[in-house]
Amino acid sequence: MGLEPEVLNELRRAVGREHVIASGNDLRIFERDASIEGAAPDAVVLPATTAEVSAVIKLAARHRIPVVMRGAGTGLSGGAVTIRGGIALQVTRMRQILEIDPVAQTALVEPGVVNQELSLAAAAHRLFYAPDPSSQKACTIGGNAAENSGGPHCLYYGVTTNHVLGMEVVLADGSVHWVSGDAPDRVGLDLCGVLVGSEGTLCAITKIKVRLLRTPPSVATLLAAFPTIETASQAVSAVIGRGIVPAALEMMDQVTVGAVEAHYQAGYPTDAGAVLLVEVDGIPESTRELMAAIRTVLAENHGYAMREAQSPSERDLLWAGRKGAIGALGRIKPNYYLHDGVVPRSRLPQILSAVGEIGVHYKLPVANVFHAGDGNLHPNILFDLRDAGVLPQVESAGEEMLRAVVELGGALSGEHGIGLEKSAFMPWVFSADDLDAMRRVKGALDGAGIMNPGKIFPDPERKAPHLAGRTGLAIEAKWW
Amino acid sequence: MVVKRATAEKPATAEELVRLLHEAAESGHSVFPVGGGRAAQMGDPPSRDGIEIHTSALDRLLEHSQADMVVSVEAGITLEALQAELGKSGQFLPLDPFNSPGHTIGGLLATGWTGPLRLRYGSPRDFLIGIRVALPDGRLASAGGRVVKNVSGYDLMKLHYGALGTLGVIVAASFKVFPKALRDVTVESTFESTNEAWAAAERALTMPMAPAAVELFSNGRVIVRFLGSPDATKRMVADLGWSEADESVWTEHSKTAPPLWARIATPRHQLRLVLNELGPDQHWWASPGTGIANWAIEGNSDEVRSIRALATGTGGSLVLMAGPDEFRRDVGAWGTPPATLHLMRRLRFAFDPNQVINPGRFVV
Repeated sequence: MGLEPEVLNELRRAVGREHVIASGNDLRIFERDASIEGAAPDAVVLPATTAEVSAVIKLAARHRIPVVMRGAGTGLSGGAVTIRGGIALQVTRMRQILEIDPVAQTALVEPGVVNQELSLAAAAHRLFYAPDPSSQKACTIGGNAAENSGGPHCLYYGVTTNHVLGMEVVLADGSVHWVSGDAPDRVGLDLCGVLVGSEGTLCAITKIKVRLLRTPPSVATLLAAFPTIETASQAVSAVIGRGIVPAALEMMDQVTVGAVEAHYQAGYPTDAGAVLLVEVDGIPESTRELMAAIRTVLAENHGYAMREAQSPSERDLLWAGRKGAIGALGRIKPNYYLHDGVVPRSRLPQILSAVGEIGVHYKLPVANVFHAGDGNLHPNILFDLRDAGVLPQVESAGEEMLRAVVELGGALSGEHGIGLEKSAFMPWVFSADDLDAMRRVKGALDGAGIMNPGKIFPDPERKAPHLAGRTGLAIEAKWW
Repeated sequence: MVVKRATAEKPATAEELVRLLHEAAESGHSVFPVGGGRAAQMGDPPSRDGIEIHTSALDRLLEHSQADMVVSVEAGITLEALQAELGKSGQFLPLDPFNSPGHTIGGLLATGWTGPLRLRYGSPRDFLIGIRVALPDGRLASAGGRVVKNVSGYDLMKLHYGALGTLGVIVAASFKVFPKALRDVTVESTFESTNEAWAAAERALTMPMAPAAVELFSNGRVIVRFLGSPDATKRMVADLGWSEADESVWTEHSKTAPPLWARIATPRHQLRLVLNELGPDQHWWASPGTGIANWAIEGNSDEVRSIRALATGTGGSLVLMAGPDEFRRDVGAWGTPPATLHLMRRLRFAFDPNQVINPGRFVV
């Protein structure tokens, strides 16, 4: 493999010699994201401008070389993995916040801007950017837009696609376009809407215009303990069933709480079967009333040891435990693997008990820390990569959990994307005709298939689900 | 050219609908999907004759899971029928379009019509979580699902929303629904001048608890709706100091449907600049928080063109919502096509290569 020397020279001319990486050892750094599978690119190119991105993609189109955009590499589904080799377009040099408009409440950013940097910059205007993935200290807005990322506060505020007003994109032929913009109800098809979340398979994103929201005047954060995961799940449904949609509603199981408490000493109750972290925001009257109502509902559903953050630092500590939970799990095992399937909220007790049984079956510890309000699971399967033969077991356990999600009427991914790891499972939820409709979009915008090939769509040559046919359950693609 | 609608079909199932669509496509006929007929004059007059396919018999509520706050419906169900069903569980779909009642869900998705509540809840673009469409080649294709958060596959819901059926006839949809607010309060006030009314609307919009709807009328009237907890809404009403109005003002407002009607959309803070150019004799109403206004045109086509030029200059648009064929043909329903029209055409071609559905009507 590898690119022809002539192609490498063209790339160097396009972006500057020092911004092309093509030596074996250096390339290995770029072979992974935060998922399991890796494959090194043939070259890493670091463009500084849209014009350079366009030049690189034109060149790639001419030579039929795959192009994969890469932000911080925090993705969990293999979206940034160059599975067919080719060029990794690393956006590190495109990380300017170009504009924050406090009147229009918008920001224009380059794709390499880190999610949290944007929120910090917006805070000066008492504004914030709502989507807050747990990796927000590292992940980029470009990656967020490509994957349509979520985060704890998406329960109330919505996911990335609800906050992107417009984008500058480079298509597979190197052409540059603005899609959507500040005005609502734009004439024509919503190209921006389909490009957000297309996982780099339709375009490269070079600028993103996002909506900023006013920072709420008050926030209340509550931690509540529950005897079991089931009681906590019922409490989640009860809160929302009472007509209250909190800003965030997160669950952690006992395994997670133990690890978090050992690491952060945030005062999480380690004897609890599960804890809920509930947050409401708004004017003080509103947060006070809603929090009182929530406490009542939680108490009715076996909630105990409720503790409301009394200061911003206490709130930060409670959230540090949640957002740093996966890191803290390293105390139990050095490696983790997780899916992020979504079930209808009322199915949480069933799916969590199925996840537990699967963990027991494979003799792998599982730690649940997830967006309970959305029904969006994150069962972390904990393992040690040094244990012989453990990885196929881990993957099988993950696949079985995802299969259970689908059988309960759920979806394959709530925020991490399909990418490489779940493409084989797409026929579990989509019929051949459904997938054909999606392929038409791909064909219309990237007929040659150079943009992030091998992602989203099942590739029968590469990987088949282990479970297909094994469970003996008919795959019912229709969810109507 | 006068377009005659040769026949009208009323399929009772999605399968029957897609068969009719496929047969029409195979025999070279065009198809005009019809829901409640509330947006029948939206778009340019069609360029060909064809068959109407009505979705009125496709009006079932497929599933409403109260606990999950998700509902799936067939395209022909009316918004009112759906709201009545959701209301039994204290839930609702936050959609309050003009020219109500009688809109169907399929029609609202195809046209992208919205109302005042968009300020708080966004448009169906934000809460449509699954879709099923009939394609001219005889296939039924779904995207999305029945969960509130989903990134599995391309977001085709976004492509079909507002596409006027040109990528396929919507046969069913799933939505995230919302709990009715603990308290729902409306206040209103009328001001001497539109300048004062704009200032009042701006004041309402910057209240510490954002209102769910703010509507401003060319006669200086401003209506504001607060949804929230009892003490919070009480404080907002007290702070604003306007008189409370009955909830029915919203139902009345939603019936508005000028015979000659344009929707003006601009970046939020530029809407006022465009509306200021409308003469004092013109009637309009605006949603200053979203950047959308509706104009009951009482001028000639030149005036529409000049306002459209202003709206387009802000990066926005002026789209005709209703009006006689002649007028729509003269002014053009959509205005200058977007710069990405060629990309949109490629997508349309991928789904409906022979422009069987709504030929000539959409901008793409």
